[in-house]
Amino acid sequence: MADPNEREPSPTLEEQVRRLYGGAETRTARAMEQLVAGEAFGELLTRVTENVVAVTKLSSDVGDLVLRNLRVAGRSDITRLARQLNRTEDKLELLLQRVEELGDAIERRDAAGRDEAPASSGDERSEAGPGGNGTAAKPSSPRARTRKP
Amino acid sequence: MSALERIARVPAAAIETANILLTTGDARIGGTPKDIVWTHRKTTLYRYRSSDRRHAVPVLLVFALINRPDIFDLRPGHSFAEFLLDEGFDLYLLDWGVPDDEDADTGLDDYVCDALPWAMREAMRSSGADDVSLLGWCIGGTLCAMHAGLVGPASPARNLVLLTTPVDTGEGLYTSWVGRDAFDVDFVADNWPAVPGRGIDFANKLMKPVTNFWTTNRRLAEGVLDGTADRAAHQAMAKWVADNPPFPARAYREWITAMYKENQLVRGRLRLRGARVELGRIEQNLLVVTAGADHIAPRSNTVPLLDLVASEDVTHFDRPGGHIGLMAGSRARKEIWPDLADWLRERSDA
Repeated sequence: MADPNEREPSPTLEEQVRRLYGGAETRTARAMEQLVAGEAFGELLTRVTENVVAVTKLSSDVGDLVLRNLRVAGRSDITRLARQLNRTEDKLELLLQRVEELGDAIERRDAAGRDEAPASSGDERSEAGPGGNGTAAKPSSPRARTRKP
Repeated sequence: MSALERIARVPAAAIETANILLTTGDARIGGTPKDIVWTHRKTTLYRYRSSDRRHAVPVLLVFALINRPDIFDLRPGHSFAEFLLDEGFDLYLLDWGVPDDEDADTGLDDYVCDALPWAMREAMRSSGADDVSLLGWCIGGTLCAMHAGLVGPASPARNLVLLTTPVDTGEGLYTSWVGRDAFDVDFVADNWPAVPGRGIDFANKLMKPVTNFWTTNRRLAEGVLDGTADRAAHQAMAKWVADNPPFPARAYREWITAMYKENQLVRGRLRLRGARVELGRIEQNLLVVTAGADHIAPRSNTVPLLDLVASEDVTHFDRPGGHIGLMAGSRARKEIWPDLADWLRERSDA
């Protein structure tokens, strides 16, 4: 059993320095968190953000203008091409989904025919279709378009 | 170690610390083997390879828009994805990719009404399942909640797990910064087709400036000096933190306006493609996880969801930790991952 009169060893100089530093850092952290939570800091951040946006926009426009005058494709040209690719990809995705739905419907009908079940109505889905209200179709068969990365 | 020995070690420790910081970019994260199942624009759906799939309902991981989803699979031995695979789940990851200027027209509706349901559809197709568990983190959780609130019981999501998800942003530091009238989100979105992720990350770090900009590095240097620094852990996390994809302009405008300026989601005023997002339509089994020290999505921003949903099966875990530390901290593997897996397991059989 520990002697109640036994005193804990006094901290070394290094421990004292560490403790003091830790306390100072914690207090500084709290003070900074109070600072950034203030109304004035929010206002400052807003103004700085707007200035940064404006400066980057101006420099980007100037850079693009220089490139275009040199008859070199600039960022805006590449962006325009990429947007066209995006639109094409959107159409392909919708088309692919429609094809897959039709494939599923055919498989269901074939399966129903094989089982000599009552005639299916063909398309029993309640979904709104691709690009509609965000409902994901419940597929009837697992067919992954899987490829290795 | 005596004080003199420590002083003698300082130059070597300084060089070692600098080496750790300078080679952070070489750290390998997100290395668990996975296959691409589906892609659309910048979005990719991955399926993790597994030979031990024991649960009927696959899990789809959905992360935020302002960091990469590698946080789900940080490094071997400390990977949530690896953990769920070991637990027998069929695991999918939705990666939003790295948007650029050409994606400026991508809005919240594109994520909620197209990409997310399409990814769920493809996950179900490849797994052969009829439904799926959505596990969303941060903005990813909000997108999942929006999907469930939009589609309601017709959604094939059977289970909804929302980790540190902002829903009611009526108060909080972020709201006081970007929710104020003086912050002109239109000016930002009009001039930046892709709002730089670095800028958003800088703002997030400014919430705790000393901790984020100084204490982390000071602790690393101290750890190196003491011989206790975990190089792999620090580099993996630092690399993930520094990887900030841009926010598409329209999505950024809609996110800031809907969530921080007008708090539309919790008020039932958010409309996507003309349809109202009503959290009261959420009927899925719901697990909400909040972190006690989360300053980005504080508890008060998430908990109101519990009273708004129509789900009969609602669970709330309130755990210590920060916004990211909760799931990716050193104690996550023992303290939160098993509970998540247990919750999912009980609701993932045919």
